[in-house]
Amino acid sequence: MKTQNEQFGMPNCLNVISKPSLFCPGCGESMILKHLGCVIDHEKLQSKITLAIDIGCTLLSWNYFNFDIIQTHHGRSVPVSVGYKMANNKRLVIALMGDGGAYAIGLQSLLHASFRNDPILAIVINNTEYSMTGGQMAPTSLPGEITSTSPLGKNASIFGPAFHGPELVKQVSGSKSFIARATVSNPTMMETVMTKAINTQLGGNFSMVEILSICPTNWKTDAKESFDFLSKLEKIYPVGEIVKKEKNEK
Amino acid sequence: MKNDITKIVLAGEGGQGIQTIAKILSSALLYAGYNVSYIPQFGPEQRGTPSVSFIQFSKSNIPYPKFDTADIVMILRRRAIKTVETYIGTRTSVLFDSSTIARSKFSVNNSRIFAIPATKLAEEEFGSKNQNILALGALAKNFLDYPKNALWQEIAINLAKKFDGNKELAEKSKAAFDFAYEFQLENRKFTKPEYDTSENLILKRNAERIAVIVPKYCKGCGICILKCPVKALSFGKTLGVYGTPTPDIDIDKCIACGNCFRFCPDCAIKVEKK
Amino acid sequence: MPRRSFRRYNTLIVCIRRLLSENKFITGNEAVVLGAIEGGAEMFFGYPITPATEILEGWIKTATEDKSLQYLQAEDEIASGFATIGAILAGKKAFTATAGVGHILMQDPISMAENERLPFVGIIAQRGGPSTGTVIYSQQEVNLAALGGNGDGLRIVYSASNVAECFGLSSKIFSTAWKYNFPTFMLTDGYLGKQKISTELKKPLKPYPSRKILKEDFSNPTHIRNCYGSEPEFAKVLQRNISDYKYLIDKVAESENYKVSGATDVILAHGSVASAAKSAVDNLRADGHKVGLIRPITLRPLDTKSIRSQIKNAKRIFIIESAFEQFARLLVYVLPEVASKMIKIFKPAVGFTAEEIYKIVKEQK
Repeated sequence: MKTQNEQFGMPNCLNVISKPSLFCPGCGESMILKHLGCVIDHEKLQSKITLAIDIGCTLLSWNYFNFDIIQTHHGRSVPVSVGYKMANNKRLVIALMGDGGAYAIGLQSLLHASFRNDPILAIVINNTEYSMTGGQMAPTSLPGEITSTSPLGKNASIFGPAFHGPELVKQVSGSKSFIARATVSNPTMMETVMTKAINTQLGGNFSMVEILSICPTNWKTDAKESFDFLSKLEKIYPVGEIVKKEKNEK
Repeated sequence: MKNDITKIVLAGEGGQGIQTIAKILSSALLYAGYNVSYIPQFGPEQRGTPSVSFIQFSKSNIPYPKFDTADIVMILRRRAIKTVETYIGTRTSVLFDSSTIARSKFSVNNSRIFAIPATKLAEEEFGSKNQNILALGALAKNFLDYPKNALWQEIAINLAKKFDGNKELAEKSKAAFDFAYEFQLENRKFTKPEYDTSENLILKRNAERIAVIVPKYCKGCGICILKCPVKALSFGKTLGVYGTPTPDIDIDKCIACGNCFRFCPDCAIKVEKK
Repeated sequence: MPRRSFRRYNTLIVCIRRLLSENKFITGNEAVVLGAIEGGAEMFFGYPITPATEILEGWIKTATEDKSLQYLQAEDEIASGFATIGAILAGKKAFTATAGVGHILMQDPISMAENERLPFVGIIAQRGGPSTGTVIYSQQEVNLAALGGNGDGLRIVYSASNVAECFGLSSKIFSTAWKYNFPTFMLTDGYLGKQKISTELKKPLKPYPSRKILKEDFSNPTHIRNCYGSEPEFAKVLQRNISDYKYLIDKVAESENYKVSGATDVILAHGSVASAAKSAVDNLRADGHKVGLIRPITLRPLDTKSIRSQIKNAKRIFIIESAFEQFARLLVYVLPEVASKMIKIFKPAVGFTAEEIYKIVKEQK
């Protein structure tokens, strides 16, 4: 007898009552959460996991899964996860956030969690802009990228070039951390990376996965254009495990 | 409360162009010499909830962006009814899309409820992007008596960017607009709501595999179509949750690679090998 | 009573009191740590800021000996507050302590706790403000402590007036928070925090238990949010919080009446100013001056019913605070009758000695 989820091919740990979700058509975050659900089902982690989410589009996932979810403030899913994990280190804790929550307002906490090797998993959804508020420029916006607060294209000489978050976080992290970048254009690799990141936490270490994502609504792109721009992002933000730069490296 | 402000509510799904026609109507009313107020309803999500706009126009001052009861309410999709029924009063005139909403959903009496099967006309004749133009034309002609050519000017100015690159779209939009101005609104007999989102699953099967498509989850993003390596998918006739087309599958072309499932953000499509 | 049996009786009382209380020579900040532990606190998150730093240090020192206690010196007050929330969600009695500008940063997590009705516990050691002000003393964080978050959040605020209360209230705030599910705070100040004094620490009542707020039951998951889609939807949540708050007022609001019976002049003061005022009241009464002190122990909710009946016969009400009308504003809102009789004695960022209060009341025309 098929469960309701199985009828739709939906991972079991997804909360079918909250579907259709509030995410936009073609939302990369929606894809990411679905594949996270596949990993959780596959690794049988549904009874062990707690999810802390940011404000921004991640707030829409507040009832997305059939396990405990806490909606926090902008840039604050990491410190809530740190406190929670300290209080109950038998739980698997994931802090979900966008690139604004990770690399702007929440960067301090993300860096320090990495620095202390706090055993949490930070999943950063990078679509190079602030989506919920209508597509403003973010640290990860590409030079020349047109957003609602850079209508003539992001001026890198004033606002900085593309922000490589995982690389920065890796530099301050401990040797046993796992930090990687994945992309929604390769869902299989995304699941592999998520699984490794989860196992890193189970081993007591900090892990972080940035996932390059698409935002057709604010990019004002259709399906093909969205994935074309994603290919462009993959050239600037290398996909794969992030390794520490040694002192003599440029 | 007596004042000479006309209050209008426009409602539909996000992505249907409700705000676009709200802006066009607002600037048309401004051009006609009225004071105008326009505010969209907004919450945190960009697309997930019905799109609603509140328009007021008057010769005198408009003190406040919201109101309790509307003079005119236009509703293009079923999900929007819940959000806007509070604005329908004993004297409100209602225009709805009969091809997506059943008449029975409204408890308004016949003298003030009218319909145009905008989605059906758009899907079958004028192109699905023109559903909102049809609705705007019907509303402007029948409820506001707005001069046809002046309104078309307004539309052409506001949609200039879209029309510039796409002559066919511009022609179809004009045709839709002209049609709407001639259309006799339904008042007693209504088109069946065959373009409402189906609650049922669509199953396509052959000896080797079975495809499941879920219109109530499909948001019409088109990613499955893009990612299908054998081009077995294309936009079909059935409409999804936001009133956008859902994919049709050629089950014999399909190789059950799993890409459509892998990339669908909403678990709206999957193919299983038997 | 024969003298011998009186001595035996006296010894018995002393023994009982020793079981129920202890005498220590400690600072207010040390008392806070001891009280929190009595209240069931298990985790502390904080950031160094004068005059609250000794709470962080004292907790960490105790935790090195008692491994059941946990702590984190976080990267700032914002992280401290949110980590406190994280621990609370897991069912641990966690708290933080801050002051001054750190108290401002703390409003970010506090407002989330107000919205989500979490038993957030914090110690606020008042110092001069706004901005860096002084590191020393004031009663100027009343506005922020009582009304600080954005929107219509509700919280419970106690004000400790001596080192013994730094102990007793520090224990009580955990029970209040976990019972009623509103963020609960204790105000102290730099003088209280750093003053070392012989104090009798009375054994507090059995603490109210904590519980897991995220219940870890995936068949019935806990989904907590603070963002709502529409105004009416959110208004419903707020109305429920407001009515829950109204319910607790009778049970939580507290004040102390000191020699108010028959008084024509009443002093209204809280915190250390009230302690100085007590001494002034004693001296004024010795001079035949009919004066008393009403000391609100909770600033939010105020013990309105009791204070109203106590000030009924007062001809003059001295509102004395080391701030500019912060305490006065809270009083006048719930007790408008105070406005016509009040004499405002405000000294922003500066303390009041007992002698000073004696002089002010004596010389007031």
